[in-house]
Amino acid sequence: MTNPKTIIDIRDGKKVFGSFTALTDINLSIRQGEILTLLGPSGCGKTTLMRLIAGFETLTSGTISIDGNDCAGTPPERRPVNMVFQRYALFPHLDVFENVAFGLKVKGLPRSEVKERVNRMLNIVQLDNFANRYIDEISGGQSQRVALARALVNGPKVLLLDEPLAALDLKIRQHMLAEMKRIHAETGATFVYVTHDQDEAMILSDRVVLMEKGRIVQIDRPEDMYARPKSLFAAKFLGETNLFDATVSAVNGIGTTAVTTAGTPFLGAETEDRHVSERIIVSIRPESLSFQGGEAAQSAEGTVEDVVFIGSRSFYTVRLDDQSPVRIQVQRNGHLALPSVGDRTRIYWDSANVIMLPHA
Amino acid sequence: MLLRIIVWAILAFLLAPLLIIVLFSFHASPSLSFPFAGFSLRWYEELFGNAQLASAVIKSLTIALLTALVTLLLGATASLAWLRFGRAGRGMIEALTVTPIALPGLFVGVSLLVLFAQSGTQLSTATIVIAHVVIAIPILIVAMKARLALFDPSLEEAARDLGASQMQTFARVTLPLIAPTLIASSILAFAVSFDEFVVTSFVAGTETTLPMYIWSMMRRTVTPLVNAISTLALFFSIAILVASWLIGQARRRSAIAGRLEQLEPLP
Repeated sequence: MTNPKTIIDIRDGKKVFGSFTALTDINLSIRQGEILTLLGPSGCGKTTLMRLIAGFETLTSGTISIDGNDCAGTPPERRPVNMVFQRYALFPHLDVFENVAFGLKVKGLPRSEVKERVNRMLNIVQLDNFANRYIDEISGGQSQRVALARALVNGPKVLLLDEPLAALDLKIRQHMLAEMKRIHAETGATFVYVTHDQDEAMILSDRVVLMEKGRIVQIDRPEDMYARPKSLFAAKFLGETNLFDATVSAVNGIGTTAVTTAGTPFLGAETEDRHVSERIIVSIRPESLSFQGGEAAQSAEGTVEDVVFIGSRSFYTVRLDDQSPVRIQVQRNGHLALPSVGDRTRIYWDSANVIMLPHA
Repeated sequence: MLLRIIVWAILAFLLAPLLIIVLFSFHASPSLSFPFAGFSLRWYEELFGNAQLASAVIKSLTIALLTALVTLLLGATASLAWLRFGRAGRGMIEALTVTPIALPGLFVGVSLLVLFAQSGTQLSTATIVIAHVVIAIPILIVAMKARLALFDPSLEEAARDLGASQMQTFARVTLPLIAPTLIASSILAFAVSFDEFVVTSFVAGTETTLPMYIWSMMRRTVTPLVNAISTLALFFSIAILVASWLIGQARRRSAIAGRLEQLEPLP
């Protein structure tokens, strides 16, 4: 994707409901063809942001433009976007075919074209044999596909998906995630996907927009957001991590050193904007810690308190000699001897995996 | 065991008069007491030859039909308002419309009569229809709101999102989904109107509806004709209720199916 075109542009967006500010300082450019996830806990404003794009809400201030056109005052039916609703909102009085055909029919397309396009879309979502079923005669996963087809058949410039997998059980959810990626690749549409589930966001997205209390806190590729969270909130929301209150003791050419309140020093690779005696939070992921380390690795000693085996991985809790507990995730492979509960051990980490975050 | 006996006793107490009326409507003799002297259709024959009765029946049917139509229109608009209002608005609609159910018919009748008299309105078929609408609306609202509470408002948003204008959304989504509820409710209004007596007697003026005709017949003498009329009215009412129930069953594809899973409200 070289120089991707911006399809939706939101500038200084703000939305207030009565005395409640739902969204503020929203600046976001959505690129053509990407899967962009709006991720955040419930109440962070992600659904409101999506409803603003769909046209069900209006901005209190700021602008939204779709494909270069400011769409203030454009009602939902005249926006080139379509939405997959959280509970699908399929029409119970129509069968699968008529549900998918709805958008084309209200636009007054000729019957033959409606039929052709609906059938092609039903083929893409693999529901060819369910065209004449009513909505209460199909499963949750199938309803999901109908909802996708009903939106995509209109050829929207952007497809908005509001927690589309929330109502499905875990197994179908994983399958539908893969399906969603396939359908995205087949249709080439831009997907804006709202979820509170970090795994869905990681699996699906080209970029993740992390939101908290009505603000965008970080926009990044999922792997970058995971590896380089810019705030304590981001570090805690995506994946598991060990957090330590610490004070910067030295900043030099090789990195920043911070000493935790319990007394263990961590050397981090980043030096930007750090100064001595600044209070920060050190974050290190359980999988960035190990029981073996090279020459350059930092280390600390402690005692194994607990081990949990989860198939190929094991989670260890080690109490460092400074009394702080640390979670470690190790990949199990046969030839390495791993410590047991009660063993003295040394844990290692690299400066590249030490994340230093501003104090919240 | 005792419980069973009680249940059967109550059922017998409730249903025995009905059975006796039906039985004696086919009685060959004018006697209204046992022993039973054989079956005959003479009372029904006499009924169909009675012009006064025929005109009362037609009057009642006309009034019931008009009541059902007016109630349907008012009910449809009320239900649209209901769908758009929040909790507070719904509470208000309910308080305003449902209260008349608790008022005694006598009170409603007198109030309407005073109202018509003060406003110089001639008592006629129209005043009866107005009275019946007043009685039927609360019943309609009660019957409707349970169903409408299950109407998923995101269906209307979905229609808009797919390109339907407000009118198209109403015609293609909202109306088809609430239609069975509306029709079932207005059939109920028809049934209520058809046998309404107390309020009608205040506002009827010189008009005679079927219940009023029967009552006036009974005042003169208890004739077996009454049994035949009552039997016909009974089966007519049953037919209407069954129709209303059947239409209500068609909701499988209407409002209720939209929310098979009652999930948490959107954040």
